Amino acid sequence: MIEFSSVSFRYGAETPWILKNVNFSIDEGEFVVVLGPTGVGKSTLLQSVNGLIPSFSGGDFAGDISVDGRSVRTHDPAEMADLVGYVGQNPSASFVTERVEDEVAYAMENLGLSPVTMRRRVEDALDVMSLHDLRDRSLQELSGGQKQRVAIAAVLAAAPRILVLDEPTSALDPGAAEEVLNALTRLVHDVGLTVLVAEHRLERVLPFADNVVVMGIDGTVTYGDPIDVMRKSPILPPVLELARLLKWDPLSLSVRDARRRVATLRSSLTDTPLPADRASNGEVVALVKSLSVRYGSHEALRKLDLEFRSGEICCVLGRNGSGKSTLLNALAGVISPTQGSVSLKGANPFNVRAQERIGLVGLVPQEPGDLLYAQRVDEECSVADKEHHLPSGATALVVKQVVGHLNGDRHPRDLSEGQRLSLALGVVLAAEPDVLLLDEPTRGLDYCAKRLLVDELHRLRDIGVCVIIATHDVEFVALSADRAIVLSQGEVIAQGPAREVVCHTPVFAPQVAKIFSPMKWLTVEEIERVI
Amino acid sequence: MMRDDRPHAWAWWIWAGGLSITALKLSNPVTMLALGGVLIIVGALRQSPAPWGRSFPMFLKLGGAVIVIRILFQIVLGQRLPGHVLFTLPTLGLPSWAQGVSLGGPVTAESLIVAATEGLKLALVLLAFGVANAVASPREVLRALPGIFNEIAVAVTVGMCFTPEIIAAVSRVRSARKLRGRPTKGFAGVRGIAVPVLEDALEHSMQLAASMGARGFGRASSTTSRLRSWICGIASGSGAIVLIAGVYGLLSAQGTVPFPGFSCVLGIVLLAGGIFGSGRRSVRTRYRPAPFGWHSAICAVSGWLVVISALILSSTNPSVISYSPYPLAWPAVSLAALGGMALGLLPLVVSKPGAQLSSPTRLPPAKVTVDA
Amino acid sequence: MRRMTGTSVPFTRRAGLLLSGLSLLGVVALLWPFVLTVSSSASQAHRFDAPIELMVLVPLLLLLCASELARGSFDVRAIAVLGILAACGTALRIPSPGVAGFEPMFFLLILAGFVYGPSFGFALGGLTLFVSALATGGIGPWLPFQMLAAGWVGLGAGFLPQVSHIKFEKYLLASYAVVGCILYGVVMNLWFWPFGIGSSTSISYVPGGALSTNIAHFFLFDVTTSLGFDIPRAVINAALILLLGGPVLVALRRGAHRVTMHPLDLPPEGAPRSRAPLIPE
Repeated sequence: MIEFSSVSFRYGAETPWILKNVNFSIDEGEFVVVLGPTGVGKSTLLQSVNGLIPSFSGGDFAGDISVDGRSVRTHDPAEMADLVGYVGQNPSASFVTERVEDEVAYAMENLGLSPVTMRRRVEDALDVMSLHDLRDRSLQELSGGQKQRVAIAAVLAAAPRILVLDEPTSALDPGAAEEVLNALTRLVHDVGLTVLVAEHRLERVLPFADNVVVMGIDGTVTYGDPIDVMRKSPILPPVLELARLLKWDPLSLSVRDARRRVATLRSSLTDTPLPADRASNGEVVALVKSLSVRYGSHEALRKLDLEFRSGEICCVLGRNGSGKSTLLNALAGVISPTQGSVSLKGANPFNVRAQERIGLVGLVPQEPGDLLYAQRVDEECSVADKEHHLPSGATALVVKQVVGHLNGDRHPRDLSEGQRLSLALGVVLAAEPDVLLLDEPTRGLDYCAKRLLVDELHRLRDIGVCVIIATHDVEFVALSADRAIVLSQGEVIAQGPAREVVCHTPVFAPQVAKIFSPMKWLTVEEIERVI
Repeated sequence: MMRDDRPHAWAWWIWAGGLSITALKLSNPVTMLALGGVLIIVGALRQSPAPWGRSFPMFLKLGGAVIVIRILFQIVLGQRLPGHVLFTLPTLGLPSWAQGVSLGGPVTAESLIVAATEGLKLALVLLAFGVANAVASPREVLRALPGIFNEIAVAVTVGMCFTPEIIAAVSRVRSARKLRGRPTKGFAGVRGIAVPVLEDALEHSMQLAASMGARGFGRASSTTSRLRSWICGIASGSGAIVLIAGVYGLLSAQGTVPFPGFSCVLGIVLLAGGIFGSGRRSVRTRYRPAPFGWHSAICAVSGWLVVISALILSSTNPSVISYSPYPLAWPAVSLAALGGMALGLLPLVVSKPGAQLSSPTRLPPAKVTVDA
Repeated sequence: MRRMTGTSVPFTRRAGLLLSGLSLLGVVALLWPFVLTVSSSASQAHRFDAPIELMVLVPLLLLLCASELARGSFDVRAIAVLGILAACGTALRIPSPGVAGFEPMFFLLILAGFVYGPSFGFALGGLTLFVSALATGGIGPWLPFQMLAAGWVGLGAGFLPQVSHIKFEKYLLASYAVVGCILYGVVMNLWFWPFGIGSSTSISYVPGGALSTNIAHFFLFDVTTSLGFDIPRAVINAALILLLGGPVLVALRRGAHRVTMHPLDLPPEGAPRSRAPLIPE
């Protein structure tokens, strides 16, 4: 169905090869997962299937990709539209129309299908993605999960035989991600689509994968059965890490399978004490008292009472729209409370002068790029030095500590997501804030990059910084957090040691906890330490 | 949602076109006021609750301003038309290169009447546009453009959908900068906000292009032969020449160019034929187009019935259409003229208030029944 | 930082023909009060007939040319960038639609026209005004002429020579902004003047009058009515170019780099070769 024959590609002469002499072929009806470290070129591989690479990007391209007999050398993406459906990383950037129903019909209009066919297929696509109730809604007012489902329905309606999805759940909370992945697996089983998906929630998709494509940083690509290929993969979900640790052969891909295989280990661990919860006894640096925030008639936060201590990492969990970002913004002094108060070391962050505030609290927003506006990495650092009245080179030093060496000549927009986040983090940390706030920091980060971030956060915690993170990434919570808070509709519904909170509900439970449930083990490292 | 029980957006625009042409033909203040009444009634009763509905009061104010400004101009800079002097302003001479421009002087009742009727005429045209703006959904106007305008319609739709996102991005970046203690005002602030927003927007546009391309945008079914493109080139070239000659003829004195109106039409036909004959054929079809049914037909035709009635009256009873303050007298009034203008109210019969074309953002998140 | 010059959306012969035809018609539609001899007997009626004819003709042709330009010269990426920059321009217009000449939209239009080329600049000018009129429900009889005039501003920016020194570039663009913004005001006045202020003031159009009389009247009309708006607008846009021109040009060029057109059919199998003619160094 899809055949890569000696494909090589790079964006320009001065950039490294992203694909180097790649050969493999995918059969009809396969479910294929593409994985590799952040920035390795998963999107490039996916976009090459319908010819977006190289016909949109330019660059050096050699070899050929043939999709159902059509070569990307002779067919542009539009001519592949009836064969390959492509859903990009950011669904809201893909919308062309204003209304759900029009968006779903858009591809078919371009293909010139008859109105009768279009009408029928729109209904089908809305059914498959359960979007009937939303058909007349404006696209802009949908939630992230709904937008993602519309984006998938919009390509499904054209009845492609191949579906290509780039990180379909990266911006979604666990519940919404589940909705989308369930819909996808239903499609594979019912309709027999060939599906290619890049996904960092490997644990959820791997059990369905017929084959996986593992991409290496040197441009090589390994293709094959997941159980064989994952043995050498640099990117491992916790379940596979565990399998490797326990030297299982063959590897197990699903939690369910792993659960059966750890039965004996689990019973041998009954008497082993869990690692002690780490509770900070530092001073209270951030105090939230009956905080309410209202936007118009919408109540984003309702009477929150919270305290955060220095030297702790606290994660705030909750669905999209539960008030996590609002809480962070209130703590950072971006928004003023409607009622109640926020105090950071006794000061109200909303009233403090900006120059003092940056030494008190720093926030890395969901789009770290919002903080960066210089043309070069060097310039970004030197501007930060000047603004914080630091000796020149101080910010660059912090950035180096966080990311390692960054080429100072690069444009901040050309950095990979992980590097961009680290640069923003470095710039924020240069002012040495007492409270560090991170909004969804793990978007687009692979397991290794997350690990680096966790190490950095632990270092900060140890020097007494109070770190507060809003996230839906439960594996990240398991690795990093001391304490967790769950918000729902602007209210705290659970708080306490991270271990207790995340193990309490299956939605937030990390894989290891699911495997060892009802025991409250969180990470593979903890297991490694006790066996 | 029932879609065919209300006039199409384009029907409203055709109706408004008729009324604005009528307005340009009129100079009798009474008949003009009648037309203004028709426009205000329709606008007030059918103005959409969506954001674009606000343009009706906006255009109403603008029309009022035009009349006032016209009268002020007449008083200050007006030519001294003869007649009944109301009051006299001090005169101010201007140098000779000003070619007889005069400031101040005696102001006559006649000159004010002329100014007011001419101002009213412009105000009526504006009001007709204002009503069409306020009633017809811009989305529907775009969607109903013929397929050959697809590319440009898509660019416009993208522009419209993305504008609120740009505004949201500006406030997002602003608050991010505030956090850093970086300035949000002044030059550094503007620069620090504008650049990330623009960078974001351009990145967004690449993702959008990928999504459009992958969904078949710009798919063409055939390319044209060399001969055909030659023929089309000649057709469009000669069309342009004929058209420009026609326009020249229309604007200049009679007789410079034979059949100027016909030349214009011929020119446009040739030009359009040439342009689209040679272009790539798009295979595009349309999903659930808003139908142009009898409601729409009545709405569209009624505007032009007003034009026809004005044309008939101008030959049978010219004084109810045109008016001159020499000699100073009350303008003529006739029931026929008022009736003719009232034909413009017909769309009220075939449309419903507010219900039409409400913005999707205003729709409650309720279930919508599907008409099979 | 690598300097990238050159425009990215090609100015084809076809686009050139289309735009010159349209511009010629636009010029006739605007300058008729000066160049055409109108018999003064027909004048009174004619004053209002001419605008009707133009009100129908100009938008029709504008639509025809715009769509032909869009399908002939722009690929999907250029269309996407066009739509999104039009949204940016609209966002710049929304807070202050023309209030006291504060119309920062021209700054973006001129920079984008300069980077992406004449036909893109023309399309962007027209489209930005159309989108903002549509978005705010502000479609009026002036719209086609506004679109044409803004299109000309963008077109002209595309024809500016590419200079190698970044500072000269800024000054060049800023001085163009002054000229462009004032000319935009003049064009809008030319449209409005023959019928807008009526026949009986001493700065009105005199049908069949001497050329010098009409020019003098128009000049006075322009000075008294709109120069007060046009000059602040020109100054603001020129200042924005001087202050923000550098980073915005870099951003636009980075975008242009990716929009650069190249043929869509790949060469048959062979050695790796670069397909996208990246903007020359």
